[in-house]
Amino acid sequence: MDELLSDFLTETTEHIEGAENQLIDFERDPTNEELLASIFRLLHTIKGTASFLGLDRLSVIAHGAETVISEVRDGVPPTDKTVSVVLAAIDRIKQILGEVAEHGSEPPNDDEDIKSLLRANLPSLAAAAQAEDAAPEPSAEAAPAAEAEAAAPAPEAKAEERKPEPAAAKPVEKPAAKPKPAPARQGKSDGESGGGAKGQESIRVTVETIEQIMQLVSELVLTRNQLLELTRQKEEDGLKGPMQRLSALTTDLQDAVMRARMQPVGRLYANLPRLIRELASELGKKINLVTAGADTELDRQLIEVMRDPLTHLIRNCADHGLETPDERLEAGKSEVGEIRVSAAHEAGQITIAIEDDGRGLNIEKLKGKALQKGLMTEGELEQASEQEICQLIFEPGFSTAAEVTNVSGRGVGMDVVRSNLEAIGGSVSLKSKWGAGCTFSLRIPLTLAIAPALIVVVGDQRYALPQHAVVEAVGLGSQSRHRIERLQNALVLKLREEVIPVVDLKRILNVGEPVDEATADREDQLVVIMRVGVQTFGVIVDAVADVQEIVVKPMSSTLAHLKTFTGHTILGDGSVVLIIDPAGAAQLLGIEKIDDKKREAARIADRRSEKRRYVAFLAGPGAPKVIPLSLISRIEMVSASSIEVVNGRYVLQRDDGLMPIVQVGGSMGWEAEQSYPILIVASAGKTMGLLVDEIADIFEEDLRFKLEDNSSEVIGTAVYNDKAVELLDTAYYMQMAYPEPRNRPAGTSLPVVVLSEDRYVSSVLCPMLTSAGFNVFAVETMQQVEDLIESEKRVAAFVVDEAWQPEDGKSLEDELVHLKKTHATALVVLSSELDQLVAPAGLDGAVIAQVLKHDRLALLDELRSMTAGLGHAADNDEGVAA
Amino acid sequence: MSSNGLVAEKEFTEDPNGEPFILSNAESYFTVFVGGDIFGLSVQETQTIFRITSVTAIPNGPPDIVGLVNLRGKVVTAVSLRQRMRMPEQEGDKNALAIGIECKGEHFALIVDEVGDVISLSDNMLVPVPQHLDVNRSRYSSRLYRVGDLLIPVLDTDKLFDFVKS
Repeated sequence: MDELLSDFLTETTEHIEGAENQLIDFERDPTNEELLASIFRLLHTIKGTASFLGLDRLSVIAHGAETVISEVRDGVPPTDKTVSVVLAAIDRIKQILGEVAEHGSEPPNDDEDIKSLLRANLPSLAAAAQAEDAAPEPSAEAAPAAEAEAAAPAPEAKAEERKPEPAAAKPVEKPAAKPKPAPARQGKSDGESGGGAKGQESIRVTVETIEQIMQLVSELVLTRNQLLELTRQKEEDGLKGPMQRLSALTTDLQDAVMRARMQPVGRLYANLPRLIRELASELGKKINLVTAGADTELDRQLIEVMRDPLTHLIRNCADHGLETPDERLEAGKSEVGEIRVSAAHEAGQITIAIEDDGRGLNIEKLKGKALQKGLMTEGELEQASEQEICQLIFEPGFSTAAEVTNVSGRGVGMDVVRSNLEAIGGSVSLKSKWGAGCTFSLRIPLTLAIAPALIVVVGDQRYALPQHAVVEAVGLGSQSRHRIERLQNALVLKLREEVIPVVDLKRILNVGEPVDEATADREDQLVVIMRVGVQTFGVIVDAVADVQEIVVKPMSSTLAHLKTFTGHTILGDGSVVLIIDPAGAAQLLGIEKIDDKKREAARIADRRSEKRRYVAFLAGPGAPKVIPLSLISRIEMVSASSIEVVNGRYVLQRDDGLMPIVQVGGSMGWEAEQSYPILIVASAGKTMGLLVDEIADIFEEDLRFKLEDNSSEVIGTAVYNDKAVELLDTAYYMQMAYPEPRNRPAGTSLPVVVLSEDRYVSSVLCPMLTSAGFNVFAVETMQQVEDLIESEKRVAAFVVDEAWQPEDGKSLEDELVHLKKTHATALVVLSSELDQLVAPAGLDGAVIAQVLKHDRLALLDELRSMTAGLGHAADNDEGVAA
Repeated sequence: MSSNGLVAEKEFTEDPNGEPFILSNAESYFTVFVGGDIFGLSVQETQTIFRITSVTAIPNGPPDIVGLVNLRGKVVTAVSLRQRMRMPEQEGDKNALAIGIECKGEHFALIVDEVGDVISLSDNMLVPVPQHLDVNRSRYSSRLYRVGDLLIPVLDTDKLFDFVKS
């Protein structure tokens, strides 16, 4: 294309966008004469240059629009249609510009529709009609037009002047843009600063040129890497210096070119005012748009990628978020809703926030929808936090608009927004406050072109994993705490508190021998934990070879359908590696979208699924009874005749003294001639025998007890082998056996707070501690602890279950430190594994002990020794049965 | 693009019988061999001939695509003509001979057994393609030329590198 024409196109596109936005500003502020003058000037420049270049259609339409504006400028009051018709003309101008850009000339069309529209809507006509004044104005059109013509020479001269040097154009239009703080619209080409200070020089460079330079720099980086590799192998001093310098220069050059590619986010804002205006009229709402951070710079490519998601989110805010003016007034808000778009540079990422001050998300409605769509079950919804439920709107096919409107509500889009962002290594999240609006936060990487990546080895090939998705790498093998396990035919990794789905890259890539649990723990294998959106998963790799800055090249179209890979790159040694697409991989693995809540549920299920051994027996009427085997030290067959009555209680003589006998489920009636099984329960130095009718079974099972609260001796019921069984409370019987605990003088029992959600702890350990003479308070939340301390004042010790989850996102360590510091008491942590002791930094030197959850004697020992100075909670181990 | 052709054309302005061609509409073709069969490949479409030193396999990729190859800093897609023609794979494909071809904006490396002469073929040497040819082979060659007693099918790169249809 002719250079003159191409310059014209670029400039006019800027002018027309400027005019468009100023027009919308003007609509809101119709008294602003400066704006009007500026719009007029812009249209006039377009008209002049277009006719100079022989682009008649453009020139005629611009003239028509200019006529309308000039009337308003000259004092004729604008009608409500004025802005709309001029916008229509601007749209046509844009369309023609697009066609000119494509074909190099205007396609023929008389544009009669636009011309007549402009003519019919001249403000003066409306004014004349309104005034009922038949006095014929001397040709409504001619006068202002003539005036416009008269005003023409000045700007036209400027336009002429700037032709040879387009850069000079900037200062000329500055005054026009000045009154409105909207630097975004400028700086389309001068990436340095959105506003473009006076005197700053800039030149127009085509995008292709920049891309070409970028390509070359990419190649240069690769060649540099190759050279570095070579010089590393050869120890030549002469080479080293220049090599280092080359290396540094290349990096600088790369940075400089990257900067040249950067463009202000303001470019994304340019068409927002128009969008808002259209949305407002379409939806019958009043919307004010506020933008901030227009000069934040972002890679050119990313700006284009962001355009659609941004538009969609704004539509969403306007349609779903903002209320109608009446609703707003009712809610005590200003009639005009606000949508605020702000961009900022944060820690190597760009964040764009889209906020509205509307009604926010209706959580109940979302819940209903989630149930209806089968995305979550009722139980899951109950456990989910509000924020988690908010994220549901990013699920495919999820739309809450009661009615499908023209603007949004078709349920396509939000998931597309998320996938678009994830495709570029970004993310989107949503915060909402009922009644106060919601905020979408987009996180975008600065650039796509060069990204750090983990180079991993799988089979005999290397692959690149984009670092933005990598959370950590975990070693496997006997030295490692972490194990790969097989759970229902799928591999999982137990990592700290989480169970993470793991996949074998060899399996999905169909290379080499797939891993099974037998080989998963091989010393040299690694699991790379990746996060995509809310999903976390691990991939098993053979090794991590390197971390490199890679130049991402997209897959050729033949291979673009492969979801596993986003592209390829050339490494320093010249070899080609494929870049694994984390999202694609997750999809290919069939990993269900696991959000935090589900993971939490899995974790709880895992924690509770520990099987226990139980003794089942028959005693008295009713269902079989069970007692955890861990509470029973021995089972003896005792002849009923050997049971004696001492001091009104039944006892059995034993080597170490008398053992009280309690009959379970009966009122001390037994056949003297018979032998009965006696379960000997030893707890905290006290021993008793539970006389039962018959031992039925000893089994290992994960029983889910339904807790009973109206029965003192039965803790709960569960189903085993299709039959109901009752879990007995040994502590209850212990109290029967020792009705006046001599070891527990009234008033000296030490208060111990047990913090746990585990039923085993509350149903087994707590009674055990109680019977050991402690005054036990079983609680589940920190709040309960605080309440307790309020009323109890003094706590001798805290027993904290390691699996207990503090609320409010606090960590266990935080809470331990808090407990320790505020209450200065003994602290015992119950763990399922000893080596996992949490060692909070704030607890240096403080008394903290860790015992195994199932080692009740160790727990007692610890508690006793820790509270030794505070009184005697329990006596010595006089009679623990062997 | 033809300027990239590595082989000088002057030696091949004669046909196998030694008769010089004087043909206006003649076009130059490489002859390539796979599995003992000869094929023609337009010189216009080929960019370079090179030996592949290392290939990066593409897991789960189309079977006929051998992998990705670094051709002087450009990543090209390597396609095996043998596999494409459903011929048995040759053992030891190290240092395979490949022809760089650009097709619809994509760069390919076509792996062949051997590259022969460049010959000129003109329309008057065209013969109709027999109907009973193995469809696996004939689908990639639209034209058949007769040169002396040789029949040379000319590869249609558009079809050859169209992995959607195949």
